[in-house]
Amino acid sequence: MPVQREAEGRERLSPQPLILATGRVGGGGCSSSEAANALSLPPMSSLIQVLSSGVAIGCVYGLVALSFVLIYKATEAVSFMQGELLMLGAFAAVALSFGLDWPLWLAALSAVGLLGLLGAGLERLVLRRAIGQPHLVAVLLTFGLGLMMRGAVTSVPAASHDMYRLPFADRVLEIGALALSLSHLQVIAATVLLAVLLTAFFRLTRAGLALRACSEDARMAALMGVPVASMHTLAWALGAALAAFAGMLLAPITFVHLNMGLIALKAFPAAVLGGMSSLPGALLAGIFLGVAEALAGYLLPEGFKDVVPYALLMLALLLFPAGMSGRAQVRR
Amino acid sequence: MMRLRGVVVATLVLLGAMLAFGADHALGQATLVATYAIAGLGLAVIVGQAGQIVLGQGALVAVGAYVEALLAQRGVPPFISIVLAMMAGCLAGACASLPARRLGGLYFGMSTLAFAMIVEEVLTRWESLTRGGAGLSVPALGWAGMEAVTPLAQFLISAAALVLALVLCRRLCAGRIGRAWRAVREDEVAAAEACGIDLVRAKLAAFAVGGALAGLAGALYAHWIGFISPEQFGLFFSFELLMLVFIGGARHLRGAVLGALVIVSLPQFITLLRDVLPGDWGRSAGVESVLFGLVIVLVVLLRPQGIAAKGRAG
Repeated sequence: MPVQREAEGRERLSPQPLILATGRVGGGGCSSSEAANALSLPPMSSLIQVLSSGVAIGCVYGLVALSFVLIYKATEAVSFMQGELLMLGAFAAVALSFGLDWPLWLAALSAVGLLGLLGAGLERLVLRRAIGQPHLVAVLLTFGLGLMMRGAVTSVPAASHDMYRLPFADRVLEIGALALSLSHLQVIAATVLLAVLLTAFFRLTRAGLALRACSEDARMAALMGVPVASMHTLAWALGAALAAFAGMLLAPITFVHLNMGLIALKAFPAAVLGGMSSLPGALLAGIFLGVAEALAGYLLPEGFKDVVPYALLMLALLLFPAGMSGRAQVRR
Repeated sequence: MMRLRGVVVATLVLLGAMLAFGADHALGQATLVATYAIAGLGLAVIVGQAGQIVLGQGALVAVGAYVEALLAQRGVPPFISIVLAMMAGCLAGACASLPARRLGGLYFGMSTLAFAMIVEEVLTRWESLTRGGAGLSVPALGWAGMEAVTPLAQFLISAAALVLALVLCRRLCAGRIGRAWRAVREDEVAAAEACGIDLVRAKLAAFAVGGALAGLAGALYAHWIGFISPEQFGLFFSFELLMLVFIGGARHLRGAVLGALVIVSLPQFITLLRDVLPGDWGRSAGVESVLFGLVIVLVVLLRPQGIAAKGRAG
């Protein structure tokens, strides 16, 4: 069944007029105006708008993928709770900002910090036991922890009933015919800033060097005097804080709500496309997927957009099993 | 000896549950346990025997359920439609295992996740066939005027299917292909290069068997529940199945039955527990997730080898 479906999809991907000829598009069918819209070449300005929103959402994918890869490299644990951490971080910011009337920047920073502490605490209490065990142990542990976080947020009535919007500036920036959403530009700028900070941390600080050493070869790092156990704690703290940061960035794009963590499911393809071992690779793959998805939403009939990241992942795994960066080990 | 004890224990548990909750309710739950156990058995073959990480087994069950539902709606007799559902599951499993030709471990696990997402999306979007998120209602399992509508009949069918599946898996695992699976699980390179095991064939066979069992479980599940929709078979279901296999002890086939018993009865215990909890907190919707997550974490921490691991290797 899926095979037949893929074949249909591929047929539709190539020449656009074919859609009009068959007159039947996507699962539910599509109006002729949409097809005609897809036929005409997109005007430059709307293409740039699509690209900017794609890059913005891709930054969030990339950051979540980054947090995932950071944890995976340092501790060999596969974390299935990054989405829940993201959601929890956004709700923490909402609680601090609306509940305690803190200024937004302070609430956001505190929420990221709190989630970092939570990550460190969970590592000490629970996740430490997964080291050296098969992947499945970490997968199930983090899934269980994620369920608990989700359940905890659900049982707060104010959280499960309403959607919140963090009061980030949201205006539309008009440059000539071009209308760009300011929140998208904010997300992109914040991601660039964070990437610079992270690079500085990994290149310039002692802890960053130790963390890198630990990710390369934990045993050798231990022999060189790196406190490996503390580095694992640091990795989880950083991973949780990064996920929370991604939550802050997602908050102005979508609302803050219970299911916003589902975005992490698109971060997995990004992490794998990036080769699972490269932090810049994960970020870039995330942006690539965001753009691909936005373009697919723009050019292809409705319904294809959500499949694009997974279809690209399957294709990439089939064609380039060594990862896009080409250096990853094939079998882990 | 072991088998006899298992049967005796299972009968005692069933009789106890019938006394405690009433016969129909207990039989309904036992039917679910047997159906989950079939799907779990399929996953146990892939994860426990062949050592592959699968994060999207729910999609294979979904394929079986939808094929069965669509065929049953068109009046195809069950012994044909269930076989076709199993074949569809088998084929979907083979498709899902394609990346395993060149990938191992986690990368492959991620590809199964992507596969499951694609299947779920197709089921949601192909509205002309599956009616999308609105779901399909499934007629009762029946042929030539006889319909399995009583809990007893449903339980007997599920249990018979489970026993057949167990016997089949046991025979497979004891044979040449089972040895190949365990060799692949222990060390892919050594298995392939030193012993002349065809890796691709071994993985494909594991997925074909696992997919067929998932298809069978899906077909039965569709009839027993009477209504299917894509989100029933989403990521949470896939993880429930993983959990089931893990609780039972991935390397033991009989663990699947034990794991299914725990996974199916857990929500009931959680409902009981909620009544005990003080104040309003016990009534809010999130408590179930919290408790379920807690059980997962505790089981993984306290019994990392699974509950069935105490006894002899199965």
